Amino acid sequence: MSNEILENLKKAILEYESEKAANLAREALEKKIDPAKALNVMTEAVRQVGDGFGRGELWLPDLVGAADAMQSAMPIIQKEIERKGMKVETLGVVVVGTVFGDIHSIGKTMVCTLLAAEGFTVYDLGVNVTAEKFIEAVKKYKADILAMSALMTMTAPEQRKVIAILKKENLRDKVKVMVGGGSLTEEFAKNIGADGYDPTAPGGAKLARRLLNK
Amino acid sequence: MAMKGFTRKFKPLEIITEEQVEAIHRGILDVLQTTGVRFESKRALKLFEKNDCQVDYDNMRVKFPPGLVEECLRRCPSSFRVKAREPKNDLIIGGNTVYFVASPGMQTVDLDTWEPRPATKKEYYDTVKIMDALPNLHLFCCYTPYFGFEGIPEVMKIPEGLAAKIRNSNKFTWSCFSNDCEIFNIKMVKAVGTETIILAMMASPPLTYYNSAIECAFRTLEADLPIGVDTGTVFGATGPATIAGSLVTYTAELVAGIVLIQLIKPGTRTFIAGFPHPQNMRSGSPAFGDIGISLFDVAFNQICRKYEIPCRNTASAYSSSKKMDFQCGYERGIPAILSAVSGAQFIHVHGGMYGELAHHPIQDILDDDVAGMIGRFIEGVEVSDETLAIDLIEKVGPIPGFYLNKEHTRKWWRKEQFVPEVADRLTYPEWINSGKKTAFDYAKKRMEEILATHKVDPPLTNSQEEDIERILKEAREYYRKKGLITDEEWETYKKVLR
Ligand code: B12
Repeated sequence: MSNEILENLKKAILEYESEKAANLAREALEKKIDPAKALNVMTEAVRQVGDGFGRGELWLPDLVGAADAMQSAMPIIQKEIERKGMKVETLGVVVVGTVFGDIHSIGKTMVCTLLAAEGFTVYDLGVNVTAEKFIEAVKKYKADILAMSALMTMTAPEQRKVIAILKKENLRDKVKVMVGGGSLTEEFAKNIGADGYDPTAPGGAKLARRLLNK
Repeated sequence: MAMKGFTRKFKPLEIITEEQVEAIHRGILDVLQTTGVRFESKRALKLFEKNDCQVDYDNMRVKFPPGLVEECLRRCPSSFRVKAREPKNDLIIGGNTVYFVASPGMQTVDLDTWEPRPATKKEYYDTVKIMDALPNLHLFCCYTPYFGFEGIPEVMKIPEGLAAKIRNSNKFTWSCFSNDCEIFNIKMVKAVGTETIILAMMASPPLTYYNSAIECAFRTLEADLPIGVDTGTVFGATGPATIAGSLVTYTAELVAGIVLIQLIKPGTRTFIAGFPHPQNMRSGSPAFGDIGISLFDVAFNQICRKYEIPCRNTASAYSSSKKMDFQCGYERGIPAILSAVSGAQFIHVHGGMYGELAHHPIQDILDDDVAGMIGRFIEGVEVSDETLAIDLIEKVGPIPGFYLNKEHTRKWWRKEQFVPEVADRLTYPEWINSGKKTAFDYAKKRMEEILATHKVDPPLTNSQEEDIERILKEAREYYRKKGLITDEEWETYKKVLR
């Protein structure tokens, strides 16, 4: 019985059905299924889709579909885990945004999705995010990682500015900084003192793991 | 006198029916009225409210009454003239006239590795000179050829680029905005007595206009210049995955921009830009070279015809190939002709390499043949007593009759045929004897010839040159004061200027 619900939950994610996934998560809790187990099958499902994408069998809409389905069930399960006083299984908290002056959103949104699918808790600040807003969010959400996207050579230097403010506020050693976006290079990332750079969103999710040794 | 461009002499290609055009138009009006568009500008919101739009100030959302939308579309002139430095290069935009526009790229390409790298100042100026010499390239786009050159601060890239185009060419140029640089762009074009079309009113899909675009639009209209409305939907990411659905959001964004423009200044010379792509569902990038862009553009051209507003197509601007190869040829050649036969007034072809990220002068030269070939095609088949040549046919009769020695042939063949500049048209023996050269080899040679011989005619006068330098100086000081040029950048910049 409980196995069947968990099977269905996994299937809902594999079939990108957000509403169904949320309902099944609720049902699982009603039937007193261990929320940690539910979380496990969800992560497994998303990983399966991620692997399919990696092998070139599945496409972006599949990946995003699975991540979304997981995201819709996630808060329900997390709440229960917290209620039980168990520790929420997250790889870490990541604050993401496109820097000030830059409204390019496509890559940044992909990064958010893939980080969430990987098992991170993600706060998407959107585009045109000022340095002050980044700092505020890092503090508020106790972020483990700050991920910034910049698509233009004109806006990339904003990242340097954010890092400088992190230092000034004594936050720099509390948060890892990763950067990306079309106009960036590994060299630039090093130069501005970021902890990591990756040219792709899937690579970014793996990079986040490495940065936190997870 | 004005830049002739090419004239399409037959009915444009249509791929959707009149009813379908209507359905899309109704969809656009519906979205504008029920979903609305976000305008991050108090000034714009107030103007919309004053004109009976429903304005939600908290969410900066504007909902448009259909009557106002239709009225503003009618206020756009269906054709208009824009002024270049020389009247021979003025453009008369609208109707059946087709102009070929260069494609912007961030950087140049190293021909040994095919990797992109920043252009030097000399490469920037040389490429502009080459583009000035090409007969089928009618005007420049903003940040063509490259997005600035090596050693200059980011904020100076657009103004320095425009100055290079003004100095090394007298063809018309569009321009763009970033960090208020439109202030200096406007001053520069005015100083040399020309106009520019700023692609000012640029939407950020889905359904959003940020303040910088709106401010630039106000400035452009204050300067009494024509204006471009622009957006750049990626189907499946920033618009619906369906072509019809993205036609609705994309055009709704553009139309919302047009409403603002025509409210600020009725009758403003407006043209529709735009940059549509399906999404590459592997990388997330726009799918450059995808035939979906042409399906979209051809239908979009029908909508623009209904609105009687000139538009541009970008399907042929870029390929996904990183080299000047077979893929690059077909991914740009096929869309270019589809745009030309379906009624776009501006078509991007020249010089564009992968995905807006690179440009190369050899590609410009190769593309000039593509443009010439397509231009010849749209000029169509002339049917008259003289071209039918019945009398001549009677005179020549059957074999041994022959046409090569006739005056009719001497008069007509050059009008009827398009003779490419760099395509390989040799026979096998000729080709073997001349070293088995390709179009690429000939283009390289032509590039060298142009650089050695071409002169901008007429060049800037001394006082015009002084004005340009003075305005650039003003821009440099402006950005130094704003802290947007660091000391380190300034030192490098000074070296480049020397
Ligand atoms: C689509 C697009 C737009 C759309 C954006 C729509 C939207 N909602 O995002 C529109 C049309 C609105 C637009 C507007 C402008 N654009 Co634009 N745009 C592009 C275009 C064609 C594609 C960008 C894109 O979405 N790529 C696909 C995504 C998936 O790639 P990505 O974001 O790089 O992300 C990938 C990786 O980088 C990585 N990644 C991204 N972020 C992060 C973060 C981290 C932490 C990590 C690890 C990884 C990572 O993951 C992603 C996938 O693997 C590029 C050209 C190009 N080929 O790149 C120009 C381009 C970026 N734009 C450019 C410009 C100049 C502008 C404008 C200023 C134009 C103007 N005003 O005239 C405005 C910007 C206004 C502003 N203030 O920001 C220039 C920038 C030039 C420069 N000097 O850097 C480019 C390069 C085009 C060009 N050659 O001129 N643009």
